[in-house]
Amino acid sequence: MTERAEAVRPGRLARLASLLLRPEDAAALAAFRFCFGLLGCVSAIRFLVYGWVDEFFVKPRFFLSYWGFDWLAPLSARGMHALFVALAVVSACVAFGFLYRAAIVLFLLGFTYVQLLDVTNYLNHYYLVSLLALLLSFMPLHRAYSVDAWLFPKLRSATLPAWCTYLLRVQVGAVYFFAGLAKVNSDWLLHAQPLNIWLSSRTYLPIIGPLLGERWVAFAMSWAGCLFDLTVVAFLLMPRTRVAAYAVVLFFHAVTKLLFPIGMFPAIMVVAALVFFSPSWPRNLIGFLRRRAPAPAPALPARVAAPLPPLFGARVAIAACYCAFQLLWPLRTHLYGGNVLWHEQGIRFSWRVMLREKNGSVTYLVTDPRTGRTQEVPPRKYLNGRQERDFSTQPDLILRLAHQIARDFEAREGVRPVVRAHAPVSLNGRPAELLLDPTVDLASISDGLAKATWIRPVPTAPPIHLESLAWHRP
Amino acid sequence: MQNHSQVSAPPPRRWLQGSVARALLGGIFAIGLVAGCERIAFYSTGRPPPDSNASSTTASSSTGDSSGDPTGGMGTVTRATLLDAIATCNLELLDTFQKAAQELATEAAEAKTDPAGRAEAQAAWIKAIDIWQRAEPFQFGPGGPTNTPGGQGLRDTIYSWPLVSRCLVEQNIVSKSYEGPDFGTTALINMRGLAAAEYLLFYTGTDNACTPASGINATGSWAALGADELASRKATYASVVSTGIAAMAGKLLGAWRPGEGDFAAQFRNPGKSGSVYTTEQMALNAVSDAMFHMETHVKDQKLARPLGIMDCSNATCPEAVESRFARRSRPHVRNNLIGFRMLMSGCNDGEGVGFDDVLVALGATALAEKMNADVNAAIAAADAVPSDDLAEAIAQDPESVTKLHAAVKRITDSLKTEFVTVLDLELPQLLEGDND
Repeated sequence: MTERAEAVRPGRLARLASLLLRPEDAAALAAFRFCFGLLGCVSAIRFLVYGWVDEFFVKPRFFLSYWGFDWLAPLSARGMHALFVALAVVSACVAFGFLYRAAIVLFLLGFTYVQLLDVTNYLNHYYLVSLLALLLSFMPLHRAYSVDAWLFPKLRSATLPAWCTYLLRVQVGAVYFFAGLAKVNSDWLLHAQPLNIWLSSRTYLPIIGPLLGERWVAFAMSWAGCLFDLTVVAFLLMPRTRVAAYAVVLFFHAVTKLLFPIGMFPAIMVVAALVFFSPSWPRNLIGFLRRRAPAPAPALPARVAAPLPPLFGARVAIAACYCAFQLLWPLRTHLYGGNVLWHEQGIRFSWRVMLREKNGSVTYLVTDPRTGRTQEVPPRKYLNGRQERDFSTQPDLILRLAHQIARDFEAREGVRPVVRAHAPVSLNGRPAELLLDPTVDLASISDGLAKATWIRPVPTAPPIHLESLAWHRP
Repeated sequence: MQNHSQVSAPPPRRWLQGSVARALLGGIFAIGLVAGCERIAFYSTGRPPPDSNASSTTASSSTGDSSGDPTGGMGTVTRATLLDAIATCNLELLDTFQKAAQELATEAAEAKTDPAGRAEAQAAWIKAIDIWQRAEPFQFGPGGPTNTPGGQGLRDTIYSWPLVSRCLVEQNIVSKSYEGPDFGTTALINMRGLAAAEYLLFYTGTDNACTPASGINATGSWAALGADELASRKATYASVVSTGIAAMAGKLLGAWRPGEGDFAAQFRNPGKSGSVYTTEQMALNAVSDAMFHMETHVKDQKLARPLGIMDCSNATCPEAVESRFARRSRPHVRNNLIGFRMLMSGCNDGEGVGFDDVLVALGATALAEKMNADVNAAIAAADAVPSDDLAEAIAQDPESVTKLHAAVKRITDSLKTEFVTVLDLELPQLLEGDND
């Protein structure tokens, strides 16, 4: 390395440090911490109140684990209930900043464990919650407006370093951007599917119902949704357009909440989008509500002139790697080619939100190689209705259950069977076609990240176009 | 140590003092409201009043009446007219069945005192079960399981198959527990109903299905019954369960009928006060759930198991066929298919409003035609099976039963894929949960 290079690097690092370590008003991040904890608490309580703990984690006889996480098993019924009670408690601790460091790490571990138990529970917004919890566990968000700061005065600080906000903005921005990018496909833009299907079945809604069956409405909402996702982050970042953009965020998520059963997703995104506001927005808001001048923001240093913290470069590198991962990982599906909505390779963890109405019917054909006798095994022997619906359109899950069926057969009969699957699938209203090659022995195929040649090509037929059909009597 | 040169905080944003900010606050409040009332927001909505003038689509795909109008004069097919037609069809079916069940009770009572009347009782049982098998795909609302909206589990009290137990019935014959009050309407479902009546009316053998270690065999109490006493007790027991079937048929009909339980009104008016269906889509989902009887019961239990292609350790499992004593497993499947066609294509051999009309109105004509054709093909495949007893047919001509199974599978594949996709229906027993 040349002397010149060595001379330049510290200067750049210092400039980076002044940017990332610049103290900012802690109010916004404290408010974010509070809202995030509150949502976590509400989410855990919903699972308990609605009986979902039993339905999702206790009653299923078989869990479709994530690749590499076969070793994870659910706790006992009492244990799972206790875990969700604990999640509600630690979420509340996060919200109020009580024992925050321990609470956020416990929340991260508990929530992620729950999500890793069964792939059929995968939701993009649950993944986002885990990622945000991961980021928050590295951020000292308990230094202001928290029980910790009240109990331990040494912790108190009215400011937090700017990198906290930057990281959260990258994370939330990635969600919106990639969700928008995923909508740039012919089904969404040229056929308005699956919105046309979903809206057509909601024509019973008062006032707006009759409109929802109109195809132009589905097209308008498809294009608007795509443009919203692709551009909202830019508008949220610009101070002049921020408020208007946030109003659109509220409108967009309120509409999706009203129309679709997407649970906590709108609330999470409405809270997440707050990271784009100025660090003092809660102060300004309170001042506005009280109709008086906002409380003064803390004194902020003009610049950082302190020596760099230990391992600053390494920390920056790790953060950069995280950001790079978040920006590249959702794109991995393009390495597989084809239509990701059909083959689903790389569809998870890539923010492909509400892009498909897809239903399948899987029947396993299990052949004893000694006798040549073939028997059918319906997935419901292993899965409940909810699991089966999610599973029946996802090739890797069909493969995983095929392996389990083969293992069970081998344990019973002492010989490895041939396991094939007859799996017709309809994507966005297309005529059902076979998702998998029906001649392939799935028991002999290893799960992995390579391109799955046993998945058949996407159907060439276009998605269905539904006509307007009112609910009521003429 | 950091150099904290003090700077003043930025002035409050101008926007915060304007009307935009108020709109923002209003929006946040609205989101809070929406989030707090999420279930209400999604599941509790009314529909426009009957006289609303909003647009709709005229369509026809069923065979229709002479005017070619599947709506029977209403002129327009909507999901609401479909619900209306299904309720009407179901009421007609249940009314017919109730009369047949009453006939069965009368004939069975006569056969109790006059052994020569057993043939009439058998004929009455066949008439009743033929109607009931058509009603099997209609088991939503009071007939459906208790964990479904409005479900009272009445279907199982009339016909519990595949939950049947010949041994339990035979134990009752020995103990005469059928003489207890209300036995026909309160005993365990596998001791009564049409399945028990079938055994009691059709099986004339003197053996039993209990293990040698069971009480009736170990104590010799079964063997102690002579053939005449056995026949007499079977006739009495058959009369008791037949009376119970008529009572439960009346209860189910009453649960649906206007002026009594009037579930038909709840079904026809989802989203309105008093209806268990908080949305119209929920009511349609209930019907589609019941139609999955075609997969779980018909395709898998009635056909795949006896054929030996599911849950069968031998080459075939003829003992798993339905109707082992009356030997009418093929007509049962055929009647199930006809019941399914009533929902798919409309009552009365495809006349009237059915799901196909809604599919056509939505623009899914190809799917409607395909499903209608598949149902008719399956009925033809059932007709092609050479024996009314599928166990016999599997022994004589297994290919014909295999073809029937394949024909039914074509229906269930469409049901689970395109049908639920186009109509945006949920699969059965799908837990309400989040999506994204």
